Amino acid sequence: MKKVANYLWVEKNGGEYTLIMTPELQDDIGTVGFVEFTKAEEVAKNDSLLELEASKTVLDLASPLAGKIVAVNDKATDEPTLLNSAKAEESWVVKLTGVDEAEFNALADA
Amino acid sequence: MMTQTDRLHFLISYMQQEQKVKQSVPDTFEKRFKVFRGLANERPAVKVSREFLDVQDAFLSEYNAEDVTEFKSLQPVQNQLYIWQGDITTLKIEAIVNAANAEMLGCLIPNHNCIDNIIHTKAGAQLRLECADIMNKQGRKEAVGRAKITSAYNLPSDYIIHTVGPVVQDSRVSLMKQDLLSKCYRSCLELADKNNIQSIAFCSISTGVFGYPKKEAAAVAAETVKKYLQESGSAINVVFNVFGTDDLEIYENLLT
Repeated sequence: MKKVANYLWVEKNGGEYTLIMTPELQDDIGTVGFVEFTKAEEVAKNDSLLELEASKTVLDLASPLAGKIVAVNDKATDEPTLLNSAKAEESWVVKLTGVDEAEFNALADA
Repeated sequence: MMTQTDRLHFLISYMQQEQKVKQSVPDTFEKRFKVFRGLANERPAVKVSREFLDVQDAFLSEYNAEDVTEFKSLQPVQNQLYIWQGDITTLKIEAIVNAANAEMLGCLIPNHNCIDNIIHTKAGAQLRLECADIMNKQGRKEAVGRAKITSAYNLPSDYIIHTVGPVVQDSRVSLMKQDLLSKCYRSCLELADKNNIQSIAFCSISTGVFGYPKKEAAAVAAETVKKYLQESGSAINVVFNVFGTDDLEIYENLLT
């Protein structure tokens, strides 16, 4: 199941929720040149997931859901342009668990 | 005692020496002010002598004292909301909002006609030093939609709240950019409230060189501020500062 919120796709696989860059977001920010992920292990809704510097803007990307961060796309730290990729396996941001399913269901369908 | 024109001579010579340029200093006040402003705009955030600051502060405090408008003299258009047409650097109010860029060091282009430039010019060299301090601590550029507070130094206001608005190309406002512009207003208000600021003047964020269409931007500004006041119960007084008559009409249509 796929939803969209805060310009990110939210893909649900079992209890794991992957947040992925949308083409609209990629278009709005331009080529990504610098990425720094949050060091927090848990995020509340609208907490910062990462800060990125791209050709068109500097952006603080906020989480559309509260949850526990179980993985971040570390590769993007070394190779920020991965976040410009059309492939979800390259342009994902973080994976969350412990998300309230009702909150997820309330998001807009992708 | 030094006259204003003498002070400018001193300030220009000091910065020329620093920047290792040697040009003759023009005679008239207007020409000197332009040279002074250009040098100050280009001046990097490096230590400055006590003497320079004394002369600069004496110059700017006298220069900025002309044509000051008191916030107290303004009439609200709605509860807690005001519209005021004029130069934001002449408004005596607790805080003014500066439309900054991601480096957040002030405009570096000599005599550039933007709000960031005139605010830094009239506040004085200390402002760039304080901004550099904040940015060094942060260690990275300032993201769109946040807010930072500094002293206003020689301006009639007490504080400057700096925010970076979204850049819009070809007048295409995406939902994200609309949200980010709204976030700018909200972040400034939250920071003002956190600092017990009772009155704040917003410039029209993002509508200058950042290209956000004026009407759309004003609608976001008015809606965000009203919603914030309603939700937070804050008693802060908010001035929408406009420069041109076109902007004035836009805000008057929205709020009166």
